[in-house]
Amino acid sequence: MIDVQNLTKQYAGRIAVNDISFRVEPGEIVGFLGPNGAGKSTTMRILSGYMPATSGSARVAGFDVFQQSLDVRRSVGYMPEMAPLYTEMRVKEYLRFRAELKGLSGYAMRKRVGEVMELTGVNEMRRRLIGNLSKGYRQRVALADALVHQPKLLILDEPTNGLDPVQIRHVRDLLRNLKSKHTVLLSTHILHEVEQTCDRVIMINNGRIRANDTPQHLAAQMRSTTLLHIEVDGKGDLMTDLSALPGVRKVADEEQLVTPWRRFTLRVEPGNDVRDAVLELAMKQNWRIREMHRQLPTLEDVFVEFAMNAGAPSDSPTHVL
Amino acid sequence: MRIFWILLKKELHAFFVSPVAYVVLALVMVLNGFAFRAALSILESAPSEGSIVSWTFHAMWFWLSYFFIFPLLTMRLFAEEKKLGTLETLFTAPVRAWQVVGAKYLASVIVYCVLWLPSLLNFKFAHWISAGAVEVPSGAVQGAYLILIVMGMFNLAVGCFASSLTSNQIVAAILSFTLSLLHFLVGIFIMVVGRRLSDTVVNVVGYFAATEHIRIFTAGLIDSRPLIYYLSFSLLFLSFTHHVVEFRRWRP
Repeated sequence: MIDVQNLTKQYAGRIAVNDISFRVEPGEIVGFLGPNGAGKSTTMRILSGYMPATSGSARVAGFDVFQQSLDVRRSVGYMPEMAPLYTEMRVKEYLRFRAELKGLSGYAMRKRVGEVMELTGVNEMRRRLIGNLSKGYRQRVALADALVHQPKLLILDEPTNGLDPVQIRHVRDLLRNLKSKHTVLLSTHILHEVEQTCDRVIMINNGRIRANDTPQHLAAQMRSTTLLHIEVDGKGDLMTDLSALPGVRKVADEEQLVTPWRRFTLRVEPGNDVRDAVLELAMKQNWRIREMHRQLPTLEDVFVEFAMNAGAPSDSPTHVL
Repeated sequence: MRIFWILLKKELHAFFVSPVAYVVLALVMVLNGFAFRAALSILESAPSEGSIVSWTFHAMWFWLSYFFIFPLLTMRLFAEEKKLGTLETLFTAPVRAWQVVGAKYLASVIVYCVLWLPSLLNFKFAHWISAGAVEVPSGAVQGAYLILIVMGMFNLAVGCFASSLTSNQIVAAILSFTLSLLHFLVGIFIMVVGRRLSDTVVNVVGYFAATEHIRIFTAGLIDSRPLIYYLSFSLLFLSFTHHVVEFRRWRP
């Protein structure tokens, strides 16, 4: 559905997107993840036919974004960042105008506008002026606009930006339901959203792709430590004994619980599983254990780590960090 | 073409739901009233060669309204869309740049024509109230409104261009006002220093002197040269606008 080859975009000497290549297959929901200014919006603008690339090529639904711009725009539903809308128009009026621009007319147009208003939950606001709507509703009107001509590809630039948690959940469910009919490329910096919604994540930073994998793989691949929380009751120097276990990097003594229970957090080297060793130690020392819980790294950890290393050059773009 | 009509409808709608069109209409009606009164008092005071029509369009009041109209009508056309970011939504829909430019321009021309309709009634009323004593030559009326529309088309194209250059409506308005005024001042310049210049310079500059055009057309003479001049320059400025808007798509 999307085929990007060596795409580069420069603004007055500043490189926004630097030689990126990726593909999106039909029916996929792909999340574009990266800190602000990473080049997400620029890539999306190029894909939606709004601006040209400096070099490289991009094809959307089989059409070249530069040569066949109108065909591309017909097959793409694009929702820009910040959801810009005509503030002097009413919701229904605006959506009808947009539907007509995108080639719908007559009864089919009115029916489809009704459908998308229902789908995005703006139906009760249809007679309101867009200028008087809250951010959340504007966002949804923009989403309805992107959906109205039933495009093969939806490009959504931060679709949940400015929404409350209930609305975010609503949008997420909506996107998952759309999966059967549309391919979706969305950008976000809310990691939870990506983990919940996307089949694949493309992480981009400083204009380069840093990772391109499923959310689960990314989290697993991550080289940061896993955490092990335990609650024990025992005599002796528990800290020292636990620290001596192979593979344990650091032990932190958490807050004192109701005595005699104590709570520790163990930072474990990647690739190690010390749960068995902890249990053996406990049996040997005659400790009692009432909780042991391993915390796997979340995508959030990957993201933070990767955003922290923002300046570091990467020679293996498909691998994290 | 269908897209063009949809865009035109939207632009006209934008004019008439915002207060701008009504404010300009009120302003033009008031100033025209003054211009008309000035013409009447001139005709009252002494016998004159000119008709009521030509005196109306020679009044200072008329030129005052003339310059305010164009910036007010055109300043928001592109500047507002740039500011709101809606240019991005607009150009990611399957529309061509000429459709957008054409629709915005034509909408402003239509609103401009509507602005002058009430002034036509002034002449009708004068004729009717004075039981025919005030003569309103139909040739002069036709000539005057023809040149008004064509001059308007030129200045609106200039305003369109000014609006496409910036995302600030004030800047667009000032730019369009300045360009229109400069064009007008060329004609005034000839009137002031004309005697000291050679005939060729006076003749050449006379071709684009707006005051001169008004003088000829309100006398009921229809000269094709100013018509061609204004229409071709309108096209030129519209194509500039088109290039500015389309430049985004070509900038490497």
